[in-house]
Amino acid sequence: MDWHLLGLTFVTVFISELGDKSQLAAIALSGNTKSLAGVFLGTTAALLLASLLGVLLGEGTAHLFPARLIKVIAAVGFAVLAVRLLLSSEEAEET
Amino acid sequence: MYSELAAQPPSATSPSPSSDELPSIVISQAAIDQAPSRAAGATDSKVETAPRCPFWQVFGSTFVTIFLAELGDKTQVSTLLLSAEFHDPWVIFAGAGSALVATSLLGVLIGYWLAQHISPRLLDKAAGLTLACLSAWLLWEVFQGVA
Repeated sequence: MDWHLLGLTFVTVFISELGDKSQLAAIALSGNTKSLAGVFLGTTAALLLASLLGVLLGEGTAHLFPARLIKVIAAVGFAVLAVRLLLSSEEAEET
Repeated sequence: MYSELAAQPPSATSPSPSSDELPSIVISQAAIDQAPSRAAGATDSKVETAPRCPFWQVFGSTFVTIFLAELGDKTQVSTLLLSAEFHDPWVIFAGAGSALVATSLLGVLIGYWLAQHISPRLLDKAAGLTLACLSAWLLWEVFQGVA
């Protein structure tokens, strides 16, 4: 086991991920859900799978996935979650 | 509630000088009476939303959005570059994976802490706005060609 490489990877990824989209999403989603475990495990599984693909496929990912289309789909997904949250808070206000 | 109270004749009280003060007292009393019921209503609505968000639904929606957002993101690019440089994918994966678990655990704990200190309504709004901003951020990246 190459501990130096392990440490290097950990520090690099940890710093680049602090305050990044996925962490902000985790904060936003975990604040108002009853299933904290669901958010944590969902986030973790998604990140692990994404980095596993990155490690295994290497340069291949760029050609396998149309990055722009995927980002648009992700943007729509976030927008749907945002609208759902905002609407539910409006409903709570009215009642 | 206000109209009912206002319609009551100002019978026992002295008529003119206090008539300005009386309604304001009535309103503030009404506000005090409403306050606990409003708080109870807020917690009720949170309890009601709980069955709508069981573990697998939360897991699924979180997984899909974060997975898609993270594909081709800078974290994935850096793990990709590291594995290309060092040819030791499993050590890279162990390092990157533990870092990602740590950051998402941190994120969930921050969210949990915020939930303890901020009212659910404000939190819903803030979370909704955050997600809307993330959506805009992703779209901006697409149009800038950063992707």
